[in-house]
Amino acid sequence: MIPKNKAFDTKVLRKAVLDMAFVGSTVHIGCAFSIIELLAVLYRNHLRYPNNNPLDEGRDYFILSKGHGVMAQYACIRELGWLKDEALTGYFADGSDLKGLSDSRVPGLEVTSGSLGHGFSVGVGMAMGSKLRGTNQKTYALVGDGEINEGPIWEGALFAAHHELKNFMVIVDENGFQAMGSTQDVLELGSIQAKFESFGFESMTVDGHNETAIDAAITRLWSSASTSPKALIAKTIKGKGVPFMESNNIWHYTRLDSETYEQALSAVAGGEQ
Amino acid sequence: MRAAFSDALVRIAKADPNVLLLTGDHGYALFDDFRKECPAQYINAGIAEQNMVGMAAGLARVGFRPFVYGLAAFIPVRVVEQIKLDVAHDQLPVIFIGDGAGFVYSHLGTSHQSTEDIACTRAIPNLAIYSPADRFEVTTCMELAYHSKAAVYLRMGKSDRGDVHSVVPQARLGSLLEAKSGTSGGITFIATGSLVRTAIDMAVANYPDAAVWSAPFIKPIDSQQVISICKQSRVVVVLEEHSVLGGLGSAISEVASEFAPVRILRVGVNDRFSHCCGTYEYLLKEHGLDRSAIELKIHDFLAAN
Repeated sequence: MIPKNKAFDTKVLRKAVLDMAFVGSTVHIGCAFSIIELLAVLYRNHLRYPNNNPLDEGRDYFILSKGHGVMAQYACIRELGWLKDEALTGYFADGSDLKGLSDSRVPGLEVTSGSLGHGFSVGVGMAMGSKLRGTNQKTYALVGDGEINEGPIWEGALFAAHHELKNFMVIVDENGFQAMGSTQDVLELGSIQAKFESFGFESMTVDGHNETAIDAAITRLWSSASTSPKALIAKTIKGKGVPFMESNNIWHYTRLDSETYEQALSAVAGGEQ
Repeated sequence: MRAAFSDALVRIAKADPNVLLLTGDHGYALFDDFRKECPAQYINAGIAEQNMVGMAAGLARVGFRPFVYGLAAFIPVRVVEQIKLDVAHDQLPVIFIGDGAGFVYSHLGTSHQSTEDIACTRAIPNLAIYSPADRFEVTTCMELAYHSKAAVYLRMGKSDRGDVHSVVPQARLGSLLEAKSGTSGGITFIATGSLVRTAIDMAVANYPDAAVWSAPFIKPIDSQQVISICKQSRVVVVLEEHSVLGGLGSAISEVASEFAPVRILRVGVNDRFSHCCGTYEYLLKEHGLDRSAIELKIHDFLAAN
């Protein structure tokens, strides 16, 4: 296991994302930066991988349904030792394995996502499977707030509540933006917590960049005696960690040049954690 | 045919507790036996097909063997992307049952009719497409689908047109089955689903020397067998209750054009929706798929070739 409070340093994770984004000349940096703390806490304190095996039959399932944030997950998986450094330093090279969106052929990635609204349902199925087998495995599905425009999310939410999948937790990365603008401007979501509560989820909202708060919220949701599925709404900042990227949706699409790369590295290195 | 389907499903599920049936709130009386015999293996996912297919992928990932049931208009057509991305991409053993394919729901109109489902799924890698013609082929297909441990779309069409075999046929995946013997050098029929029975009836009445082949598998299809059939024929007539675009006729033509060029008449739905409603027989007429219309097409084709 990774020693607690040692690995998954968010500065290291953000630097890994920047390195990948620069070497691969890739987009979706903001999507990765909003979920760094969420992933750090999950991998450090909650996800159980017996024998450090990404395919162990008794593992917890973590599904990155918003595949656009996959660079953040690559950075974490490298720390688990399931990806070599060369996989990241050769990001987007011809013939390389790590794609710009989640692909289940990568160790530790449970689903192939990027088309939105898929991973949530697969996760509900895996949670149902664990329930049918009577195991104590937990399933997490991390979705974007833009992603929950998709209908299957709400189909799956109905199912998870109806079948009392208390082993299932959706984590919503509420960074307030989707591809073409703010979620408010594109398709008003209202209170995401209230929506999941109305579907029968036990729900909490948390500062998605406060690791202590995230950890406490996840622990509290799991400790509930109810049979409800769980929803953790994480209020986040798209592009978190680099001031010129924060809540600036152009970093959904913009590629780093040498200058912005250096500026971003410097911001990440100096950031308070 | 549906009884054979239910029997096979119950038999397979009783022998393997990992088998699950997921239905999108369809199959009212069809699953009475299943629910009685295997209640813990029955999941009604509600009227929510996209989520149902995603869940089936998740269940397959953790070792279950889901059968996903719906009307062919919804399973697979409504959920093509879930089949592609959640299931086929990772070669998960999920079996999709699309019931009522073709014009079974003749009175209900286009929403419940399905004549593009094969075309919609044929280009998805790692997905096999089965299309049984009678209750015996259903039994064969269900066993093969289960034992293949692969993603399968099993298309069930009109179920009461009569048998084309007298026993459950032994079949390899991809093989064509002889439904009527014939001699070489003349016309040969290749049909799938409901139109195999029609092909046999027409051949017996009008072309006694013509062989009739049933194609219970659209993909994969045994290309060597197709080549052999085409080489032994002057004219091949392919029949299906599906669009002439992208179905069995296309599959046969693709093989033939490369390896055994022969005149091929594709009989199917001519790239149009139904205009009116009526009985199943009425709708076949509207689409030129009743026996007399097909016979006329064949007559004209033979006269021109």
